[in-house]
Amino acid sequence: GSARTGRRFIMGGFFSSIFSSLFGTREMRILILGLDGAGKTTILYRLQVGEVVTTIPTIGFNVETVTYKNLKFQVWDLGGQTSIRPYWRCYYSNTDAVIYVVDSCDRDRIGISKSELVAMLEEEELRKAILVVFANKQDMEQAMTPSEMANSLGLPALKDRKWQIFKTSATKGTGLDEAMEWLVETLKSRQ
Amino acid sequence: MFAKLKKKIAEESAVAQRPGGATRIPRSVSKESVASMGADSGDDFASDGSSSREDLSSQLLRRNEQIRKLEARLSDYAEQVRNLQKIKEKLEIALEKHQDSSMRKFQEQNETFQASRAKMAEGLTLALARKDQEWSEKVDQLEKEKRFLTAQLQEMKNQSLNLFQKRDEMDELEGFQQQELSKVKHMLLKKEESLGKMEQELEARTRELSHTQEELMISNQMSSDLSQKLEELQRHYSTLEEQRDHVTASKTGAENKITALEQKEQELQAFIRQLSIDLQKVTAEAQEKENFITHLQEKVTSLEKRLEQNLSGEEHVQELLKEKIVAEQNLEDTRQKLSATRNIQATTIGILETRVKELEQTLQASEEKLKQSSEIVASQEAQIQALSSANEESRCAQQQALTVQQQCTEHIHALEAQIAALERAQAANKTATEHEMRELEQENAALKESRNECERSLQHHQLELKTLKGGHSHRELVSDGFDSLLEGWAQQPRSSLPKAANLTAVIDNKEQSLQEKTEVILQKEQEILQLKEGHDSALLQMHQLQSELEALRSLRAEEPGAPAAPEDLQRLPGREQDVTLKAMKAPVFQLSAAEGTPNGEVGTMDLGQLQKEKQDLEQQLIEKNKIIKQMQQRMLELKKTLQKELKIRPDNEPFEVREKPGPEMPNLAPSVTNNADLTDAREINFEYLKHVVLKFMSCRESEAFHLIKAVSVLLNFSQEEENMLKETLEYKMSWFGSKPAPKGSIRPSISNPRIPWS
Repeated sequence: GSARTGRRFIMGGFFSSIFSSLFGTREMRILILGLDGAGKTTILYRLQVGEVVTTIPTIGFNVETVTYKNLKFQVWDLGGQTSIRPYWRCYYSNTDAVIYVVDSCDRDRIGISKSELVAMLEEEELRKAILVVFANKQDMEQAMTPSEMANSLGLPALKDRKWQIFKTSATKGTGLDEAMEWLVETLKSRQ
Repeated sequence: MFAKLKKKIAEESAVAQRPGGATRIPRSVSKESVASMGADSGDDFASDGSSSREDLSSQLLRRNEQIRKLEARLSDYAEQVRNLQKIKEKLEIALEKHQDSSMRKFQEQNETFQASRAKMAEGLTLALARKDQEWSEKVDQLEKEKRFLTAQLQEMKNQSLNLFQKRDEMDELEGFQQQELSKVKHMLLKKEESLGKMEQELEARTRELSHTQEELMISNQMSSDLSQKLEELQRHYSTLEEQRDHVTASKTGAENKITALEQKEQELQAFIRQLSIDLQKVTAEAQEKENFITHLQEKVTSLEKRLEQNLSGEEHVQELLKEKIVAEQNLEDTRQKLSATRNIQATTIGILETRVKELEQTLQASEEKLKQSSEIVASQEAQIQALSSANEESRCAQQQALTVQQQCTEHIHALEAQIAALERAQAANKTATEHEMRELEQENAALKESRNECERSLQHHQLELKTLKGGHSHRELVSDGFDSLLEGWAQQPRSSLPKAANLTAVIDNKEQSLQEKTEVILQKEQEILQLKEGHDSALLQMHQLQSELEALRSLRAEEPGAPAAPEDLQRLPGREQDVTLKAMKAPVFQLSAAEGTPNGEVGTMDLGQLQKEKQDLEQQLIEKNKIIKQMQQRMLELKKTLQKELKIRPDNEPFEVREKPGPEMPNLAPSVTNNADLTDAREINFEYLKHVVLKFMSCRESEAFHLIKAVSVLLNFSQEEENMLKETLEYKMSWFGSKPAPKGSIRPSISNPRIPWS
């Protein structure tokens, strides 16, 4: 049984490689992570349909296919509540990039956000994933600056990791294009 | 021959034509052209017949020219004819020659032909005769053949008749055959049906076979296990047998020993008997010797009597005495020997008896041992039998025990994992609650500090109020002093009347100012009273706030006593100032004038400041009260959540955590959850499970592939089950390949140990 399935698997891999080389576009897999209420779901649908949708706290996850600059992304928005944060790691395998969303106004929980980020980046499955940090809710008055947030999240200390921080506002739609532009360029250059 | 002739003719014609020179026109062409010309002229002439004379003359001229041309041509032709005649003559000559030669040749050939014809006729007649013969032979043969063939024909006719008959029979047979065939077909169908049934049965049998093979495998495994156990038991049995052999050997050894001991005992008894015989002999000897001794003594007495009777034989007597002494010595020696031998015998007998007793004891002991060993052997044999009989039972029991053990270990593992998870969760909860408690306490401490600060500032303000009061009393004292001075001066002589008038005016002024000052002071006192009231209200508020803080209350109780001391201190310098005022008059006024206003200003400024500060403090107090209320609300919420969590997990330490926060872990880092253990907290994430499973069933296959892990973790799938799911999805996603065979994972797997993924 195993030999047969193995052969079939090889065959399937062969054909899939042929098809991927024919059609050229493999779907990039992106995870949107971050604490609850950071604006992950809003960002996902802003990226997909370009509109602000009213969201409720995500109990499980949302997954959508987003096309940006002829690149197809399979974007997974995983719920960030404390009780379901442990299940993030079930989705880490074969991830090309992680969009880590942080609430720029939430000064109290930036420490938690940092420790979650650090713990996530220590996972072997995400060793090659690109990190894009969205300093979200920049439209608010009391928002922290991106450099302040980068220092609070300990980003300068990261080693062997392609990362970039962008100030974004999912409701206003600012900063998302620059961030996606950078991500696309980085993914293309990496291939 | 003719070819040569033709060649010759051609050459000759070529030679003949060459002299013709310029007119190298083929004869046929020229003839035609001439004919055509003639025809043309004829036509012209006919058409021009009706024309004029000039035309005629011109026509004539043209005709003449034509005639001339024709004449010239005619001459040419005549020449050509001549040439041709010459050629003809030559050719005739050649022809004659050729005819001659050919005639000759012909005659020769004719002759040869005649000769050859004669030869051939002869040959042919000969050949014909031969052929005739042959043919006649052949005819004979043919006639024979014909006869034969007619005979054959007859036979064939007969045969054909037979054949027809046979064909009829064949038809009949075919009919029969078809019937048979249909029967056979019918039977075949039946057989096929039965074959199908048989195949089905076969399949069922094969399935059963596979099933039984599986069972066989299982039973083989079990049998191997059992054989292993059997080997162990056999080993045990062999060891027991060895032990038994050893024991029997020891038993035989012991028996041998016993026989040897018995032999020894017999020997010893024989020895003892001999010894007793010896003893009897010795005693008999001793008796004899004693008899001998008594005899000798009698002899001695008789001899002594004889000696008494006959003293004469003194020498003899002496000799006898000597003999007697010797005999007595001998007697004593023998007695001593006897006693010694007796002693020795007694000791030896005692030793021997003790040895015998010992031997008997050892014998008894060995017999006991033997009995014990025989008993042991019997018991061991019984044990062995029991073991061999209980072997099968033990196998079953061991199997059951193993399965039970496995189940138990699995259960234990699961329980341990659960316990560990619960402990971890508990620890996490504990740390979280401790952290929260610590935060709350810190806030509480901050509040207390701010409260202390408020109190301190209040104290300070009270002190300031006291000093102001002191200043006020001092002023009153100063004014009293002034009154007394005025009275003194009124009693003084009127010599200083103008001065006095001035002074009275000044005094009036001063008094006015004093009154003003007193008024101001009264106002201030009123203000102070108001302040005191405010202060009292503030104190009340403070009391309300600090009802829980006992230490601060005590401080509050000490407060009334404390301000007394500074008041006294302030009054003292006031009295000193009085003395100095009495000594120096003029400067006093200046001083008082100088002192009065700034002091009052300072007082009002201080009062304003105090009031402001008091207001600030009151505002701060209100704010603090608000904050305290908020904190209390948060505390209540936290308590509720804590109680909820404690209800979910009723554990050993419910509220102690809050009572004694661990100071050893200050500012604990926020707990990371995304790498927490996932094995626990199943009931909490039912919602999550529901969502994930719903998405897993509804989303695209490429997305579902990424959800396998989440589903596996949530439903606690084993690695095997997860792999099966993956293979199934890969099969669904790929365009090729076959469905992966469902493995043993479908069966409820109690036996396979669950591998917790890490």
